[in-house]
Amino acid sequence: MRETSNDTLTGSTAWLSALAAMTHKELLIMLRYPVELVASFGQVFLIVIVLTLAGLIFAKGGVQAKDSTGTAGLVTYGFILFMFVSDTLWTIGYNVRREQKQGTLEQLYLSPASKFASLLSRVVVTITWTGALCIGSAIVMSLLIGRLPFNNLPLGAYILIMSLFGTFGVGFAFAALTLRVRESGQTLANAFQFAFMVLCAPFFPFSGLPDWLRAVSKLIPLSYCVDAFRSTLMGYPDGFPELAPLGVELMIVTAFGLLMPLLGYWLYRREENRARTMGSLSEY
Amino acid sequence: MTTQPTFTQKLSALFAETWLRMLNISRYPGQLAMEIIIPVIFASMPMLLGRATGGAEAAANFQANTGTANYVAFLLIGSNVFTLVSSAFWHIAYWLRFEQETGTLEAIYLTPTSSLTLASGVAVYSLIRGLTSAIASYLIGCLVFRVNPLEGNVLLALAFIAVGLIPLYGMTFIFGAVVLKVKESNALISLMQWVVSFLMGIFFPIAVLPPVVRLIALAFPPTWITNGVRSALLGVGFFFKEWYFDMAVLWGFVLFVPLFSFWVFNRVEMNVKRNEGMGQF
Repeated sequence: MRETSNDTLTGSTAWLSALAAMTHKELLIMLRYPVELVASFGQVFLIVIVLTLAGLIFAKGGVQAKDSTGTAGLVTYGFILFMFVSDTLWTIGYNVRREQKQGTLEQLYLSPASKFASLLSRVVVTITWTGALCIGSAIVMSLLIGRLPFNNLPLGAYILIMSLFGTFGVGFAFAALTLRVRESGQTLANAFQFAFMVLCAPFFPFSGLPDWLRAVSKLIPLSYCVDAFRSTLMGYPDGFPELAPLGVELMIVTAFGLLMPLLGYWLYRREENRARTMGSLSEY
Repeated sequence: MTTQPTFTQKLSALFAETWLRMLNISRYPGQLAMEIIIPVIFASMPMLLGRATGGAEAAANFQANTGTANYVAFLLIGSNVFTLVSSAFWHIAYWLRFEQETGTLEAIYLTPTSSLTLASGVAVYSLIRGLTSAIASYLIGCLVFRVNPLEGNVLLALAFIAVGLIPLYGMTFIFGAVVLKVKESNALISLMQWVVSFLMGIFFPIAVLPPVVRLIALAFPPTWITNGVRSALLGVGFFFKEWYFDMAVLWGFVLFVPLFSFWVFNRVEMNVKRNEGMGQF
């Protein structure tokens, strides 16, 4: 039997190799369900169009309203962030839960493979697919309703990337919570999603919220991600960004993107160590 | 030799299935709470979007586009009928999938009780759960947004729901057939749920849809339930001007949809049984 040296199990090459193998595995699983892939695209598109039509019913002229692309842009860009947040928030925790249910989590933690790569691989594929879905739905919306407002792409991309890093951190923290609460994780994920839908206003301007709720929104970094992202892509129409001047929002988004992954991963490791010590890693 | 169960035995099996499901869900109160909260939050999205984009004229614009200024009730009715539709689809489909996954579907098909009896038990459970959640959610939503939940003809609205639920649950057997055939069908059902919500005009009148899509929408019972309830409570206007014409259409669905769905379900069921598919998942 060939002996494996420690060098092949540690270091950046080993880490990247583990990440690539794990990502490949996730991709393989996803590609085995093509119906799910197609259905998820249809679903995303339908949700965006349902909410856009609903918004336009309040406009003068209804769906024929002159500023229909503004409403569509607001909903579409908010929805893009909502999709990424939902995916990262739940995918990491869900996959940890899946490994628990399948009885492979304990084995995974006995292997020398990087735990961080294991967590990261869960989102790489989803994020890629979500990105494709978002671009697809934006194109279809443009074809149906008219060209969406699309400005300041580099800054918009920067805000999106920082927001994604931040949501990775939230996802890690949520995975930690899943290890602790197990089956209730699904209900909690739904609760978080709905709290995000209301407090971070991805589908409507913050001006729609009552003052006291807007005060709560201002305490959540993700609200600034939503506000900065859509305001930037919409070319800062009157009243946008709504929560703070753009410079302040950018600082908050950057801090969120840099610090939240560290905090989330720290929380996850802490909970994982607890689960190992208590012997509850494979319990579900 | 197997003797056929009597009507009383069938009824007993039906309610045993209902009781089993009720007992199971009572262990997850968090899920039940979410079912009541979700439609309110869901309806609040277009409300907040509309208020912000429409400004002071939001209600007037809404009235011009829909026939009522009471957008809170309009949207809450949409999201709660959506809850009913989703419950119906998911509970029947998930029941079959759950039995497939736990390996008990084959055993069920070996008992003298027909699948239709057990599915009807699940339907009764789904009906109780869906209706309770939808009514509670509507009342809470109206309370939160401070509108009168009981304006208009409440009895007529309830009649539209009662009659509409029959073809709606009939339709769910088609989804049951999809689960039997496709097995891993969560994504498809999820998609169908949104297709129906779009077609039934969850947050908008179907008049805004293109003519061809509108015609397809009119072939779905949920479209008639939603508009019937909205017209009875808010006076947005029945499709055929008078309530009894719309109700007659729903009765037409009552006569056709369940029979057609059972036929489809039975055919798929027979096919799956013959081709060794019942125990596979």
